[in-house]
Amino acid sequence: MESVLGNKKAVAVLLGPALIFFVGVIAVPVVWSFVYSLYTGNVIRGFTFVGAANLTRLWSDPEAHQAFWFTLKYALVVTAGQILLGYALALLYVFVLRRASTLVRTMVFFPVVLPTVSVSLLFSRFFQYAPTDGPINSILKVLGAQHVDFFSAGGTSFIVLVVMDLWRTQGFYAVLLYAGLVEIPDSAIDAARVDGAGGWRLVRHVVVPMSLPVLFSAVIFSFNASLKVFDSVLALTRGGPGSDTTPLNLFMYKTSFLSTDYGYGSTIALLITGVCLVVTLAIFRSSRRDLTKG
Amino acid sequence: MTVDTVSPPVHTDPPRAPVPRATDRAIAMFAGKGLTRLLIAVLLVVVCYPMFWILATSFKNQNEFLDKPLWKLPATLHGSNYVDAWTNGRLGHNALNSLLVTVPSLAMILVFGAAAGFALEVMVWRGRSTTLLLIVGGIMVPAQIILLPLFTIYFKLGLSNTLWPLIITYVGHGLPLTVFLMATYFRGVPREMFEAATIDGAGIYRMFWSVAVPMVRNGLFTVALLMFFSIWNDLLIALTFNVDKNLQTVQVGLLNFSDEYGSLQYGPLFAAISITVFSTLLVYVFINRQVMRGLTAGSVKG
Amino acid sequence: MKSKATRLASLGGWGGRKSATRLASLGGWGGRKSATRLASVGGWGGRKAVLRRPVFWYAVLCSLALTVSACGGSGGSAGSSGVKDGKALSVLVTTENTSVPAELKALANGKCKTEATALPLDIQQSPSADIQQKIQLLAGQDALPALFAGGNSFIDKGGDLQKNGQVLDLDKALTDLGVNDKITPAAKSTLKQLYSGTTPSLPFQYNIEGIWYNKKIFAEQHIAVPKTWGELLAAADKLKAAGITPFTASGATSWTISRWVGAYLFRSLGTNAMLDVKEHKAKLTDPQYVAAAQAIQDLGNKKYFTDGISGIDYDTANNQFLTGKAAMMYMGSWLLALVNDPGKNKIGDAVGLMPFPAVEGGKGDINAYPANTGAPTSVNPKLFGPKTQAWVKCIATNYASDSMEQSGTFSGFVMDHPVKNLPPLTADVQQRIDKSTSTVLWFEALFNNKANQDAGGYVVKLLTGSMSAADYMGLLQNDLDTAQ
Repeated sequence: MESVLGNKKAVAVLLGPALIFFVGVIAVPVVWSFVYSLYTGNVIRGFTFVGAANLTRLWSDPEAHQAFWFTLKYALVVTAGQILLGYALALLYVFVLRRASTLVRTMVFFPVVLPTVSVSLLFSRFFQYAPTDGPINSILKVLGAQHVDFFSAGGTSFIVLVVMDLWRTQGFYAVLLYAGLVEIPDSAIDAARVDGAGGWRLVRHVVVPMSLPVLFSAVIFSFNASLKVFDSVLALTRGGPGSDTTPLNLFMYKTSFLSTDYGYGSTIALLITGVCLVVTLAIFRSSRRDLTKG
Repeated sequence: MTVDTVSPPVHTDPPRAPVPRATDRAIAMFAGKGLTRLLIAVLLVVVCYPMFWILATSFKNQNEFLDKPLWKLPATLHGSNYVDAWTNGRLGHNALNSLLVTVPSLAMILVFGAAAGFALEVMVWRGRSTTLLLIVGGIMVPAQIILLPLFTIYFKLGLSNTLWPLIITYVGHGLPLTVFLMATYFRGVPREMFEAATIDGAGIYRMFWSVAVPMVRNGLFTVALLMFFSIWNDLLIALTFNVDKNLQTVQVGLLNFSDEYGSLQYGPLFAAISITVFSTLLVYVFINRQVMRGLTAGSVKG
Repeated sequence: MKSKATRLASLGGWGGRKSATRLASLGGWGGRKSATRLASVGGWGGRKAVLRRPVFWYAVLCSLALTVSACGGSGGSAGSSGVKDGKALSVLVTTENTSVPAELKALANGKCKTEATALPLDIQQSPSADIQQKIQLLAGQDALPALFAGGNSFIDKGGDLQKNGQVLDLDKALTDLGVNDKITPAAKSTLKQLYSGTTPSLPFQYNIEGIWYNKKIFAEQHIAVPKTWGELLAAADKLKAAGITPFTASGATSWTISRWVGAYLFRSLGTNAMLDVKEHKAKLTDPQYVAAAQAIQDLGNKKYFTDGISGIDYDTANNQFLTGKAAMMYMGSWLLALVNDPGKNKIGDAVGLMPFPAVEGGKGDINAYPANTGAPTSVNPKLFGPKTQAWVKCIATNYASDSMEQSGTFSGFVMDHPVKNLPPLTADVQQRIDKSTSTVLWFEALFNNKANQDAGGYVVKLLTGSMSAADYMGLLQNDLDTAQ
């Protein structure tokens, strides 16, 4: 056993290609970029060494602070929404629809395939306020509420953004978590049922613990994707009004490529990476613990 | 800035309470049925109506789109939008590029990712958890930050203006997450399986291929799905690494429908989106049937 | 290139159902075989062929991945010293810019056929969201195409590309070619204002900006064309009272709003309003500058602009004006393309153009239209060989008349023959351009990239009152101060 699984040559063969890609595409460019964060300038002008000046600037830059808090807020809300919605849907597929769920699963999954550009157009139209009310505002009016100019303020823009991203991704997370639920042996469920566990208790004490590994990877994935949100914001609100809905990633992109300040841009990237790292390690740690317990 | 926590609005949020209750068979028999049906109907409307709207819009002309209420169906079907979309959006051409990029990238990601996940999780050697952590660290890296150095590297290698930069970048950028997920799935495989295989005299490669991979089939499929869509829908990387019109992918092609002052040709744009989306749907349904068969083969649910 | 791709495709064996199933077996999902194999894990019924196949494919994938970097395509001819023509006249413009590529192609097939035979035209386009980034990356590699759409701040005097000698001085180059008189005086003056006295860009387009108004609505409401800001406010008030939306603009395409601030400044403080800011003789936070932002905010406060402006996109704004739903709109003369399109223009010949009104007591001249020379297009001096020179000469000579005939667009080049049968409003605008002795720039013209972004990004907040005029101008001044 040890000799087979400890075969050095096999490790090299199996890990080699992935490692080469990793080093070439991720590691080298990242180090390269982080060296930039000690400089100011851009590729055309060349770079001058400034040491920690970018870091101090980041520390006291109100725009960066705003982007940071917005990113956290967005990531928390969207991750919670994705996991809860996805899990609810997965439970629906497995326990309610059972065999008949294929069509529903396919339909709900499908928005993931839509190009970001088109989804953002769709949502800006659906939440339209002027020149005529879109469907959402019409519904609000029918319900007797005030119609809302969604894109005129950061708070309401944020709502549309979250709804859009949840609409797009709920089906994907549902399938992801469904794969975990399908794996749960029927015997475990039946045993719990015999013990009189039903409904909520069954879900809480049997289903959730048994699908933890998938749940963890879904949470990690969701967090990482939402902390690095970029396309959907760019397409829907361009970070506006003002910079009310600008996440760190978009702030970095604008700084690097539009304001042509690579040094500062790399410093922001460093911050994003740091945030992702902390969050992921935290989840990773707890998942390791939980899994060894199980 | 004050942060007001916003909960997702109700109408896209299928009420969750009935779901688990419906698992309770006694209730499911009577009250649950109608409620469940209603829930599913709402869900399907929320998902399908926007898609239907895209399709309907693709037949409108510019004035209809701008002047008439959004839910109005097109007065006449403007098929010319589709002709425009096909020629301006160069859809056929771009779809081929997208495929030429996606398929090899996906194949490499899956194979190398699974192999690396196996080597890091199942095999025993010093420094494996450090390596895994390092690779997992790669998940955190925002794509924007690696673009600039990569551009320089590809240029020096003389790969600019081919599809290779896209493929290499997608593989490199997709691998960390794949490796991490595969490692997680391999962790779920009981060690006894490998012990049994060793006793049977299986070599390490056979163990990987015939024991480990079949055990994580579902996971592999999930990863494949995930990666496929992230590559297929990527705009940033595809935008950065080629300027040649002949190498445009579908997503980049969708940007061809606006002019320099900010005007958009909505009809052709939505026609292009419809073509890409509904052709993808066909492919997806076809693959889905195969996949779901594979997914449910191992379980005897329902 | 293409052949290589197909060769690779066949090498990898992608495409076709066969490979799809092969891929499936490679990943091991789907297919009953793997399921049964799972069942018989204990006993190895594996035939050799099954085993050999994955190994073979693994090897193929590895070799594919590894060899590609080793045997890359043809290397770019970067960093070559001296001036020499490229393999083609490579032109990089934005995807959104449809008129320039179309016109260059028309020239290549028509008046510049000889030049195009010697040096074929190769147009590359990149979405405007991305073009700045691309130009930087290419410039960093010293691999800029012969003609490229550079950002204003890059090609300006003292800009990054200028410092590196990657922008051709067109004043000198065109004089050497004997075609310097082919750029109209108006375009020349605009270019010089824009680029601190240098000429780094070819004026492929030339447009003036003003307030477009609906003559029919004005007649019905008995409103004379406003000459001053006070008259404009009175007109807006009258329209508002009659239930007509006075102004439309697009919050999504926010320069349609921020241009108002600039136009007001040029009327209140004169031609050098923005130049003074650039040269640190004045600050945007000075009261006379903040007053301009305040004046625009007041329009918003009085609800003169169309309701819900932040969500209105460019097309909707144009459509509101051209269907008579709004009485006025600030826009450039490129709007004529829509005005002359009966499908888009539902108010027919009721469209009129007035210069931005004078500000009472201001230094500006009402006849100095804000003007711009279109998306900047620079020439790469390193590729300015004899064949490229011939091309540029041909473009300078023939571009103006040709583009007016083909698509009715104005350019900054001199027409080598007058174009007949122009629609009346187009002819009217042409006359105004020809007659104008002085032009002014626009609000963001001399800003750095960051200030440029923010001027548009925050202007909706200014207009809707969620940001004060002083804060708006303060933010922009701060952007200018922290410029590298």
